[in-house]
Amino acid sequence: MRRADLLIGIGLLAFAAFYFRQSFEITVGFASDRLGPAFFPRLLALALAGCALALIARSLRGRSDPAPLPSIRTNLLLWTLGLTIAYVLALTPLGYLIATPLYLAGIVWLLGHRSPVGLAGTAIGVTAALYLVFAQALKVLVPVGLLGR
Amino acid sequence: MLEHFALGAQIALQPLSLLMMLLGVAWGIIGGALPGISGSIAMALLLPLTFGMNPAVALMMLAGVYIGAMYGGSITAILIRTPGTPGAAATVIDGYELHKKGLSGKALGVSLITGTVGGIVSVFILVGLAVPLSKLALAFGPPEYFALGVFGLALISSFVGRDLLKGAISGLLGLILATAGTDPFSGTPRFTFGGTDLLTGVELVAGMIGLFAVSEMFQQIAESEAWAVIKGKFSTDLPTWVELIRLKTAMVIGIVMGTIEGLLPGGGGAIAAFISYNEAKRWSKTPEEFGHGSLEGVAAPETANNVVTGTAMIPLLTFGIPGSNSAAIMLAAMLLHGISPGPQLFERTPQIVYGLFVGMFVANIMMLVLGYLSLRPAIAIVNIKRPLLLASILALVLVGAYSISNRMFEVWVVLGTGLLGYGMRRFGFNILAMVLGLVLGFLVEVNLRRSLLISLGNPWVFFTRPISVALLTFALFTLLWPIIRQAREDRRAKALQTVQAS
Repeated sequence: MRRADLLIGIGLLAFAAFYFRQSFEITVGFASDRLGPAFFPRLLALALAGCALALIARSLRGRSDPAPLPSIRTNLLLWTLGLTIAYVLALTPLGYLIATPLYLAGIVWLLGHRSPVGLAGTAIGVTAALYLVFAQALKVLVPVGLLGR
Repeated sequence: MLEHFALGAQIALQPLSLLMMLLGVAWGIIGGALPGISGSIAMALLLPLTFGMNPAVALMMLAGVYIGAMYGGSITAILIRTPGTPGAAATVIDGYELHKKGLSGKALGVSLITGTVGGIVSVFILVGLAVPLSKLALAFGPPEYFALGVFGLALISSFVGRDLLKGAISGLLGLILATAGTDPFSGTPRFTFGGTDLLTGVELVAGMIGLFAVSEMFQQIAESEAWAVIKGKFSTDLPTWVELIRLKTAMVIGIVMGTIEGLLPGGGGAIAAFISYNEAKRWSKTPEEFGHGSLEGVAAPETANNVVTGTAMIPLLTFGIPGSNSAAIMLAAMLLHGISPGPQLFERTPQIVYGLFVGMFVANIMMLVLGYLSLRPAIAIVNIKRPLLLASILALVLVGAYSISNRMFEVWVVLGTGLLGYGMRRFGFNILAMVLGLVLGFLVEVNLRRSLLISLGNPWVFFTRPISVALLTFALFTLLWPIIRQAREDRRAKALQTVQAS
């Protein structure tokens, strides 16, 4: 994990710098206290930078846990993520009742379940159950999309 | 105090409260029994549904999920050798052996009954300790609350997970995330990048669902092996009274360990369960049965993890410091409803605290009944196909996130924090510390600034008040301890090397 820690440390350091820089964008109002709205963020940015440097130093000295990471199914994760993002983007134009069963069937298929009963059952059953709970019982205004007028 | 209990009972025993608790306990048992869904995930998934509820009812329902999940977790532990929740990890050892011998009903029955006893005892311990402790917290002003927040973060960063540095980074990231939004003092927007989406900050519920639940789903998809399934039918013969009475030593051990762990931050019942298992074996008249299907080996850890459901509420309710994932979710639910834990909670809204006390008592009894009824359907829950479950949970999470404020922004937050959480899990960071930073960020910053306002900018205000200075000293010690220990181990290893070399 040493190389990973080194890269994460560098990333965190860059983020701390970005966050510190952003704190100067805060406009201080008239009705503020002594410390102002930017003090605490700057304190956090400095602390994070310190920890990031410690992580970098540790990985360079080889003190990190050298245990190998478990293997990862990158493609499956990326496909799931892509499908999920597509679903969120399609939710407004298509509407909940059209996009959700397609998404559910897609994920079930992607994760390797191919029986028509499982695919259709999950797609229709979960869409209906969530619709009943959120749109009917909790009165959430789910996007209607194509079915609306 | 009696009138407070009457007030609490009035809320807890309303039909609506009872129904919500029943649903909560049932969902907890199902969630705990579903492989890959722990109690805290089941609670996080339920959070969006509790928005519109009376705060007392919302808390009772969530406590019901917590309690139900402790039994639910033992179902998978016993039937497929996979702990459904971390607290059930020790139950696997003897529970699965009993199942192999065809004594599944006895194992499940012992888990259910000892769990109920543990849960009910813990409610009494909770009441007995929380009420006096809350009086102590009456002396708290802004400097004390600041110090307490820092202490809580230090504890979780260093005791949960093995890596202090990564724990501290996780906590800091949570605090940083909490600064986005409108500044609580001056009302100016911070880190909103010119948009309006972030004006109200990162929604706690969305962040928690992402970090706790979605990250676990991603991990399941990317890394996990296939789940085991139950093959064939199993016996549902329950344990007899004689068998149950023999478990009393194991249960007492579980109660003691569960109480201690609930008061300390960290394991969410898993550590207490393991220690209880070992102690029960040491005190047992038949230690040789342990590991080969001992009922005591199920009773001790299952009592312990159910005791934690009550005792974990003690630091949460009295000081607002959650010691486990589930307690952190309870804290988020309180903050969502505008309740801040601590002495004011006991003084100003006793109906919420005492409602929760009565509710937890009732929820334990509900668990006994629902657990008994779920003995047979449990097979169907445990044997659910993983693709179907993961797809359903993902859809539930996304729609739940949208429901928080009827907009897409929270859906993106859930996905973003889910991905971040998965990365954190993979590279050994501490998710609970990050969540705690996100939850406590407001408390820490506001009380820091308020203290300095009172002291006219003099930072000594934190060091001249005894409770504040004690808490900050503890916090410093907590953070330094792992470093000191590491240095000592290194020196010892070096000394050993020189001895061996000569």
